[in-house]
Amino acid sequence: MTNTYDIAIIGGGIMGCGAALRIKEGGMDPVVIDQGDIGQGASGVNAGTLSMQIKRVKLMPYAIKGHHEWQLMGEKVGFKKTGGLTLAFNDREAELLQERMTMKRDAGADITFVNPKKVEEIEPHLAKKIVAASFCPDDGYANSSLSGQYYRGRLTDENIDTIERFQVSEININSNGYEISSGDQVIKATRILIACGGSTKHVAAMLGEDLPIRARINTVSVTERAPRIMNGVIGHATGLLTMKQKDNGTVLIGGGWQGKGTPEEGRGAINPETLLPNLQLAQFAVPTLSKVRVVRSWTGFEANVPDFYPLAGRLGEKDNAYILGCVRGGYTIGPYISKLMGDLILGREPEMPLFDPNRVFNEDKLI
Amino acid sequence: MYDVIVIGAGPAGVNAAIEADNLGYSVLIIDEQGSAGGQVWRNKSSSIIDAPKTETSIKGNALRDALMSSNVSVKYEARVWHIEKCDTIWNIHVENDVLTSKNLIIATGAYERIIPIPGWTLPGVIGLAGATALFKEHMMVPGHKTVVAGSGPLLFYVANEIERLGGTVEAIVSLNSRFDWLKSLLIMITQPILLWQGFKWVTAFYKKTIWQSAPIKFEGADHIELVKIKKVDDDWTPIGKEQILEADSVCYGQGLIPAIEASRLAGAEHHYDETLGGWVPTIDDMGRTSIEGLFVCGDNAGILGALAAPIRGKNAAQAINKNGVVYDIGKFERFGKAMTALSIPRAGLLNLIDTDTDVCRCEGVTRKEIEHEIITGAQSPNAIKSGTRCGMGPCGGRFCADAQAMINEHVTGKTREDIGLPTARPPLRPMPMDQITEELNYDDLPIPGVSPL
Amino acid sequence: MIRRAAEITFQFDGDEFTAFDGETISAALLRSGQKNIRSAPTGAPRGMFCGMGVCQECVVEVDGKKTEACRTKVKAGLIVRKATYV
Repeated sequence: MTNTYDIAIIGGGIMGCGAALRIKEGGMDPVVIDQGDIGQGASGVNAGTLSMQIKRVKLMPYAIKGHHEWQLMGEKVGFKKTGGLTLAFNDREAELLQERMTMKRDAGADITFVNPKKVEEIEPHLAKKIVAASFCPDDGYANSSLSGQYYRGRLTDENIDTIERFQVSEININSNGYEISSGDQVIKATRILIACGGSTKHVAAMLGEDLPIRARINTVSVTERAPRIMNGVIGHATGLLTMKQKDNGTVLIGGGWQGKGTPEEGRGAINPETLLPNLQLAQFAVPTLSKVRVVRSWTGFEANVPDFYPLAGRLGEKDNAYILGCVRGGYTIGPYISKLMGDLILGREPEMPLFDPNRVFNEDKLI
Repeated sequence: MYDVIVIGAGPAGVNAAIEADNLGYSVLIIDEQGSAGGQVWRNKSSSIIDAPKTETSIKGNALRDALMSSNVSVKYEARVWHIEKCDTIWNIHVENDVLTSKNLIIATGAYERIIPIPGWTLPGVIGLAGATALFKEHMMVPGHKTVVAGSGPLLFYVANEIERLGGTVEAIVSLNSRFDWLKSLLIMITQPILLWQGFKWVTAFYKKTIWQSAPIKFEGADHIELVKIKKVDDDWTPIGKEQILEADSVCYGQGLIPAIEASRLAGAEHHYDETLGGWVPTIDDMGRTSIEGLFVCGDNAGILGALAAPIRGKNAAQAINKNGVVYDIGKFERFGKAMTALSIPRAGLLNLIDTDTDVCRCEGVTRKEIEHEIITGAQSPNAIKSGTRCGMGPCGGRFCADAQAMINEHVTGKTREDIGLPTARPPLRPMPMDQITEELNYDDLPIPGVSPL
Repeated sequence: MIRRAAEITFQFDGDEFTAFDGETISAALLRSGQKNIRSAPTGAPRGMFCGMGVCQECVVEVDGKKTEACRTKVKAGLIVRKATYV
């Protein structure tokens, strides 16, 4: 490629592709660069949960907009609105549930508290040990495996250049912008957007930016096809269990239990010491799962900063470098926040505030 | 904690275990079957009280007796679902137990390469190796009138066993030509007993053998009834007129593929070598892998067959002892490679995979869908899997990965090395949740901390 | 002469089958000519394929759990069901 793009977007997940689409729509010429195939990072391997009950209070308005984007994407991404329950199995959890869901409801999510009898109606296969529960009719899921296929199609439709299997090894800054190299291949662009998920810290460092980013290693498992034992999305007061059964009968189990490894080493590995409690908790909630066979367990990287809010804005002192990532709940919010990012890059005022990457990070005491 | 754990109690694994025991190590051998023997020396079912001796029973019993006389600990009917290395220790996750060792020998053998053709999912169509499991374990035939099709020496073994056990072989449909076999003669001469045995089989089935041909379609309502075949050219592309055979069972396969799931999960480097059956662990001449303390032996290290297996096992044990090659595999390796060469896929095989044929049996993904995904930009097996579900089923992609890669090669022109493999993940077998977890005491749940509000 | 264990009966998909005590479910069914063991998610009939417990084609349900018929033994009175899905 000898022409200079208006912007090089490092990372072909929901963040990068969403921003590319918005930017192209606005008249600029982006290129999307990915170290592998489009959409095979966190965007392609997460559990696919789209639940308002999981969203952080401050991010709720973004999540509501994000949900709407998923609804528009619809069947192509396997979007389903099933309703969802969050469960509490003891008094401490019930207290936590009450406190948190009240705040999330006040932030705009349609969450109600439901008694155990109502829970049994909604989900007859749940264990009878529930002390408290909340429900949101807007909860659901999409099929994260389809992220790659979906965005590949959209980028092709919009004639956006995509360069896959391009491992960024070096970024040179000059008066014209950026020269991004992988071996002897070089891509030139006036601007740069770093949106590469687990590799964000590593790539930002190539621009001289040292960001306090840590990669969490989330574990997800999938079962064989089973008879219908779950109707909607199921969550836990602590956030440590998510379950859903898809139309094909397979059950996806997540909850953010931590595996092993770093993005530099590979794709991470499961840790039986966390995988097994994750599966134990799943069986505790839905006892009939005990007889169902697990077919695959895997991990994916989720980058975070100490306050667990997104990085979305200009990077450092530069006026032509941007960063987008580290969203907790990036799957839900991604299609929306990437649009906002695109608007910022186009020189428009985003309709909702973004998240200054240069802020002081107050360590979140909770994890 | 053991000095050595061996996964797989076939001829390679058992010989590795006994050799390690002789060298003074504490050894545990694990197998998912109820007794040692693997596929080739598979033990008889407990439902057979008494039966005339066969080569399988003689060799198998000798193997099992030798194992029993040793100090090797055994664990049967046990499925390994995860392997991890923590510092210098191997953690082998077997159902809800964790077994540990300083060294790990993987001897998981192989499974079959079966080219998808229309009707290959019909009940009654079984693999050639699947047929041998029936013969060895149950001494029974797969049906009344059987077509035996595919490539390599297994064709003749299967045909012979069917008739020896009282069944009828309708035809042997061999991809290989007589000339292919003649070329192997020079090497087969090094194993005169096997050569004589082979000669007897080929002569016995001469009239029933249709050379240089392949099934192009299996037909039937809810089980196999008809087999349509055609001649193939030297590239194995079907040519000429269709011939129809009647059968109520088919034994069908084109060689073996090393079972590398365990060695991949353990993190070893692998490479592609079609002369060894495909993707194999990258090893030295004793079975050392790229990972310290990890060794492989037997067909999962490359398809060299039963003759080579015992020596490969012994050398792997010697490698733990940091010795050089003790046992010479030379002639067994040459023989094994010659047999494997008969099944190296040729480009024409792709023509057998009809566009509407389910390449992924588990999930029902056709060649057309796979090609479309590749043409629209999915390059890696991970991406193809994500978009089509090809490889997401309970067999873990074992029976569609090779055909998917053949299609990928054809569409993109890439080599197998470039195409690569999907990410290796546990469990190694589908595992019922309650088989790998203990009952939960809720208060003991190691909750790391709640998520941020 | 092959001497086999005693004959027993077991159930598959509601029908009674005879088998030799201790043989695998798939061998027993095959002996009776029952090749069709499972309905694939597409609805198509499937049966034993690889014979070594990996292909998952011969999966049946015993005691509420899915298991490979080619590596599960029959015994007198065993109730085997066809695998069910959503």
